[in-house]
Order: sequence, then structure tokens, then C-alpha cells
Amino acid sequence: GWSFAWLGALCLVLRTPTDTVRAAPICDNGQASCQVLSLADLFDRVIQHSSRMHGMSNDLHSQFEQYFLPSRNHISNRVNRNCHTSGILTPNGKENAQRLAGEELTEVILKLLWAWRDPLWHFHQSMAHHDDFNSFSSNKALVMGDLVHELRTGVEKVAEKMQNLGIISNLVNGLRSPEQLLPSPVRPQWSLMNDYDLLFCLRRDSNKVQSYLKILKCRIVPENDC
Amino acid sequence: MGRAVGTALLFLTLLNTATSETDYSPPGRPKLTSCLSRDKETFTCWWAPSDRDDALQTTYALYYLKESSDVVYTCPDYRTAGANSCYFNKNNTSIWVNYNITVAATNAHGSNFSEPVVVDVAYIVQPHTPENLTVVVLGDKDGTFFRVSWESPRKADTRSGWITLIYELRAKLDGADWEEHFAGQQKMFNIFSLRSGGTYRIQVRCKPIHGFWSEWSPTVNVTAPYALPLGSSMWILIAFFSALIFLLLTWILNVKSHSVKHCLFPPVPGPKIRGFDKQLLKNGRSEELFNALGVPGLPPMTHPNYEDLLVYLEVSGRDESELLLADANDPTIAATTEGGKSPNSPSDSDSGHGSCDSHTLLMEKCGEGEEVKEEQEEEQQGDGVAVGRSYGGKQRWERRGSWERNQKGDDDQEMTEGRVKTWPCVFAPLEEYAGSKALDHGSTLGTARLLCSSVHSIPLLLPTPATSPSGLHALEQLHWQPYSRSESTIQSPEHKHRRQQGGGKTTTTTTTTATTATKLTDVAWPAQPRSPFRATEYVEVQRVNQENMMVLRPLSSAQGQREGAPQGEVDYSRVKGLNSGDGLLLQRAVDAETQEEVEEGQEEEEYPCDIQEKNSLLGDERYTAPPAVPGQMTGAGKLSMGLPTAVSLQGDTILAANGYVDTAVAMMPTH
Repeated sequence: GWSFAWLGALCLVLRTPTDTVRAAPICDNGQASCQVLSLADLFDRVIQHSSRMHGMSNDLHSQFEQYFLPSRNHISNRVNRNCHTSGILTPNGKENAQRLAGEELTEVILKLLWAWRDPLWHFHQSMAHHDDFNSFSSNKALVMGDLVHELRTGVEKVAEKMQNLGIISNLVNGLRSPEQLLPSPVRPQWSLMNDYDLLFCLRRDSNKVQSYLKILKCRIVPENDC
Repeated sequence: MGRAVGTALLFLTLLNTATSETDYSPPGRPKLTSCLSRDKETFTCWWAPSDRDDALQTTYALYYLKESSDVVYTCPDYRTAGANSCYFNKNNTSIWVNYNITVAATNAHGSNFSEPVVVDVAYIVQPHTPENLTVVVLGDKDGTFFRVSWESPRKADTRSGWITLIYELRAKLDGADWEEHFAGQQKMFNIFSLRSGGTYRIQVRCKPIHGFWSEWSPTVNVTAPYALPLGSSMWILIAFFSALIFLLLTWILNVKSHSVKHCLFPPVPGPKIRGFDKQLLKNGRSEELFNALGVPGLPPMTHPNYEDLLVYLEVSGRDESELLLADANDPTIAATTEGGKSPNSPSDSDSGHGSCDSHTLLMEKCGEGEEVKEEQEEEQQGDGVAVGRSYGGKQRWERRGSWERNQKGDDDQEMTEGRVKTWPCVFAPLEEYAGSKALDHGSTLGTARLLCSSVHSIPLLLPTPATSPSGLHALEQLHWQPYSRSESTIQSPEHKHRRQQGGGKTTTTTTTTATTATKLTDVAWPAQPRSPFRATEYVEVQRVNQENMMVLRPLSSAQGQREGAPQGEVDYSRVKGLNSGDGLLLQRAVDAETQEEVEEGQEEEEYPCDIQEKNSLLGDERYTAPPAVPGQMTGAGKLSMGLPTAVSLQGDTILAANGYVDTAVAMMPTH
């Protein structure tokens, strides 16, 4: 339900003319009861979302692992785990992440988030068919999809705000069609992945997103929380 | 040659192998114990060699593969982290990359690989302990608390947001368990609810969101300050309770003081006879008792003029009741009047002395003698002067002088000497007196006068002419009431007196009821003649029974009879004198052969408390002088001079020689 609300809000937002670069608060008329969120607040919200996403993905992964794969070594020793998002170049360290510019970092985040939209939807579908998988995890999968969606829109808002504030230059990809962000291989790799690998990759990517967002925030809006 | 070399080599090899057993087998399988990262930027792996391996012979190597790569890397750093460890620095560490790590143990005979371990550095983070743990005691007297603050571990980069740590601290009192507090991401925490004076140990640790808890930091000891647990409300409570306790104590003291005061200052003084030893009395040693009373300075009676020795006693029932024994004309007696006391102390305003002070009055009354008695009996009214005892307050007998009586005719004066309180008077005829030659009927009658206050009607003991020479009437009954300050009711104790040695004649007793006593309200004087009146009948106040009745019994030669039953012939009707303490010294006239003097001493001030209650004042302690043997006039001569307190009798003894010794009343000079 929330995702639709978000979509609705997003549509409203996107309908505004893009030439005028301005902060597009949800409330237009400058009403007193309406407060424009500051960039710091936006970042905090987004980071909260990402933490929630990561926690949920962690739970899903561990539950899946316990339920389906009691022998951990059997799976964890697999080195080559091809996540469908492996093609996205992501910094694998703090310094690497700090070397990236803000726009690049934001792009990476958005790419990751976009990359998980479809797989999660399909994952939810597949979970529903597994009778042996408890309903709790199935629900979690559904919630997961919404979360990713919300996070994505949030990050996009943040990116937009940053661009409006001139903090970052225009994103390379901008707010174009998300399909352009998808990995180049036509056949989505995620369809080849089994569920367990999918969860594994999901957990990792959510961790990445969370970390990148924190670095971005502490770089752009430094606070005591950093 | 070659064969020799070959065999030599074979031999050496065999020798070689034979010497070292461990060389035979490859090393045991090592095991990777842990791989940890302290800062999510570097990490270290530790392994443990196999147990059976000889460390000296075995070498270890760590190999790892990274995810999605087939390149086998070896450990870049075996030393930094210590033995059997491999340290991966920043350049060699990739986050979000699976590492497949293996340790190989190699010895001369082979190698052995450990189980591979796959780690993702992002999930094996265990930071160092937090640093700079400080505790500050804050707060005021109303409440103190600890402010615990710390810093993130030095290697964990939280400033850039790379690592997000959450903290937890714990505090412990000595002897108590650890108390854990979750602090979240903040680096400061307040601990409240401290026990004053307690010493706390505090530790803190941290953990990344998805990682492992660090070790506990070093302990910081802190002592909570001593705080008075009493707030203002507590002080109020304490003050309230202490006031309550104080009031309780005061009340208790008050209650107790009442009884104590009651004890110390009995409201109704009894007659006191100075020198009277109660204990002796109890012991039954009347001789000693009377000896103890000892009237110093009392001249022995040597057949005095008994008329002179007539002592008129007026019993006052007042609080300071005194019986004045006004001597008629006895100079000695007159002299004995208490100094300072006006001879004429007629009715005091307070004492209510009245007409009885006048001799003439008494004369009239007493002169009536039997008639009076009889009349009185009917009248139920007595005007005689009786010497009685009052119980309760301080009442003393006043004894003035001898019972000098109207013979002189001017006894009124003496009679009024001293103060006469309203008192029923009791006459106890003195045997001696009766038997004295000096007495004639008329004189006996006169001698038998009693000074009575108008208040009290006192049964008169008048000698009857018909009876023994003493002709004293014996008082039949006296009903005494305990005198108290509040009321002046005297009820003469019932006493029986009978004729003493005299014949069987009995005289009517005049029991005058002190109905006329204004002060003594309820004096009841039964006027029935009980026993025939004898000429001389000596009565001894035996005791006072419960109804405050003075039990008189005729005195006989017997001594020390204290029982209520009248018996014996103890005559205590002789007043020996007065002691200084206003005690009437009664002389107990025993037989002619033996005379004992019983003297009553004034009761001292230390009237025992029980007197009032027991009302047994009289019985135990007061003796009338023993009646003289009829015909014998021991009289004054028998006053035991030993009484030290017969001070009031200056000069002559107040012996009612053989005269009337009422229940002795010592003059109260001072009262």
C-alpha cells in the first residue's frame, strides 16, 4: 500500500516541470503545517530505510539457510557466486568508496536499487509457490520488494535534492528510464539464480547500499552522528 | 663401487627414517580458528596447528582465493598479528568479497590442508573496546547520578560513517550482579538510582550493526557520594515521631507522678506522734516502742496532782488537726503549751475550733458527766473533747497538758491552749486517774473532760462517780472516721472499752456522735451504751479497722495486744506527754507492779503511704497509755522519759496521770 502511495507521490513530483530546478516539496503553497525536509533529514530517512532493508534481507538469508541448507559448508564454500549485480562496479572498500565522487556514488546506489526491482518481484512469486517455506518468509519477500522500491525513490529524491543544491552535478543517467540502468545482458541473470543465491546477493547489496549512503551522508552533510 | 654407494645411500635413508619417527607422516590437519576484522578495512586470520605436530618441523602457509577469481593468493603478512596468523592489510582486503582461506601445514613428509573458510570481511567485524571510559558524578543533594562517557575504539572509523557502532555498558555494585544498560549509538549514558556510598564498577563495549561484540573495556571504579537519605519530608516524620514519644513520656511521667506525689504527700496526714516507731509497734515490743518515744525532759510523775494532769484534748479533724490538750491550770502544762501558740487559740478560722476551746464550755459539757453522757447518748451529740485520731491527712494529736480540769475552773484557758482542731474527742479514762486519790468524782468528772471542738462531738469519758474512783467514763464507742482534708468527717472507731480493773460496773458510755461537728460531717457516734461504764476504764486504741473505726479496747495490764478484740486490761489512758513532734505520749499503765509507758509518738512526716489506705493507723501505732491499775496512780510517773520527742511537754509531763488518756494526741505546737 505504501508503495502505491509512494508511486502516487512520485508521479506528482515528476509531473512538475523539470526545467525549473527547484526543490519540489510535497506541499506547494508553503503552508505552515508543511515542512520542507532538509537534506540531512532526507538522508536520515533514506539511511533508515536502507538499514531496514539490510536487516530484513539478513533475516531472509539466514532463515533460508537454516531451512533449506542446514549444511553450511556445502554452500558457503562456493566461491563463485554470480550475483546478477556483479556487473555493476561497486567500490569494495572504504577508501575506494571515498574516492568516488558524490554523483558516482549516488549512481551506484541507484543502479543497485534498480537492479533489484524485478528479481524481488519474481522472488516473491516463487516464494509463494513453495509450500514448505513459511509464510513469514513469503511475506518478508513481499515486504522486501516494497522496501527496495521505497528506498529507491528516496534515494532518487536525495539525488535530486543534491543536484538542486548544486552539491553534485547532474547525474550521468539522470532520472531517465530505469531500464537503462539495468545490466547490459539482455537475459537477466537473476532468472538463473536460485533463491538462495538471490538472497545472498540481496543481503550483500543492501549492505553496500547502506554503507554507501552513510559515506555519502557524512561527506555531504557532516554531523555528529558520523 | 656403485653398488656400495647405493647400499650406503639406502642405508643412510633407512637410518634417516629410523631415527626420526615424525618424519614418517605428513603433518596433521591445521585448523583456522578465527578470522576477524577490527575496522572493516583489514582482517586477520589465526590457525591452530594439529596437536600431534611438531612445531619445529612443520611450516604453515595460508592460501586464499577471492570470489569470482581463480587466482590463489598467499598470505601477505605472517608476522604482524603474531604466530600462526595472517594479517591482511588494506590493500589486500576487499569488502563484500568472499575469501576462501586455507592453511596448509607442511613438513618433510607432506602437507596437509585445513578446512577452507569463507569469510566476507563485512561480516566478521569485531572492534576494539571503547576507549577513554570516564565516569563523572553529577547531581545535587536531592539525587546524584553517574555520567558515563567514552569514545569509539581508535581503529573503527565511525566518523566517516564507514562503521556504525552500538554500545553497551554495565555497572556492578560490590557483591551484586552486573547491571547492563544499552546505550545505542550514543557515547554517553546516565546511571541513576545509585546507592549512596556504594562503589560501582563500570565497563562498556561496542559492536557494529552486523558484527561481533567487542571485549569489555577496563573497569572504572567510582563511588557514589554519601547522601543523607533524609529529605525534608523524612525530617518532618522524624520530628513528628520524636514529639510523639516525648509527649508519651511526659504523659507517663505525669501519670506516675501523680501516684508518686500521692505517695509522697499523702493528702490526709495522720496523727503523728513523734518518736513513734512504727516498726517497733509492729514488732510487738511495746516497751521498746515507748522507750523509743522517749520523752526527754519529761519529769517523772510523782503523784502529781492529777487534776493538774488532766489534759484536755481537742481533736481537730482538720488537715492540720491538732488536738490541743489544754491543761487546766497546771502550770506545767501551761508551760507545755506550744510556744508560739496563743493559749487562747480558740476557734481558728481554719480549724473551726469552736466553743470547745473554752474551758467553760467544756466544763459544762464535761461536767455533765454522766448526765451529759446520757444526754448525749440520746442527743447523739457529743461535745466532749475527744482525742481521736484522724486518718488521712496529717492529724496530730495535740496534747496539751494533763487533764487538768475544771477543778480549777479556769481550765478553759488551758484548754484552749494550743490549737484545738475539730476533733472528736475520746476519753479514755485513766485507770490511774481513776484510782488516784486525787480524783474525786467531781474532779474526775472534771478530769474527764474532753476538749471538744464544736465540730466534733466526742464521746466523753467521764468517770462515773459510781464507779471506780477514777470515775471516768469510758468511752463506749467511738466512731471515727478518717479525716481527710477534704472532708472533716470523723468517725470514731468503734471501740469497746470496758471497765477495767474496776468492778463490774460499767458506765454508760457516752458516745457522742459528733453530729455537731460542723466539720466532721459524718461522725457517727453511736450513743448506745455498750457496756456498763466503769469508773475508770481505760481504753486502748487498738487499731483502726477498715471502716476507719478506731477500735479501742479497754486497757488491761496486758500489753501489746493489738488484736481487735478487746481484751485484756491494758490501760493506755495515760498521757505521758507530748513529744516534740506533736505526738501524744501515752503511757500505758500496766499493772500496778509494772507499768509501762506507752507513748505515742507523733507520726512523723513520713507518714507511710499505706496509712491512708489501710486506715490502720491507729491500731498499730497508737497506744493510749495503758490504763493504770486501778487504784494506782502511776500517772505521770510512768511516763517514759525516754521519749525523746516529748518536747512539747515542757516541763511537766503531760501525763494524764492516771487520768484520761485519750487516744493520745500530742500537741501540735507547730500546727
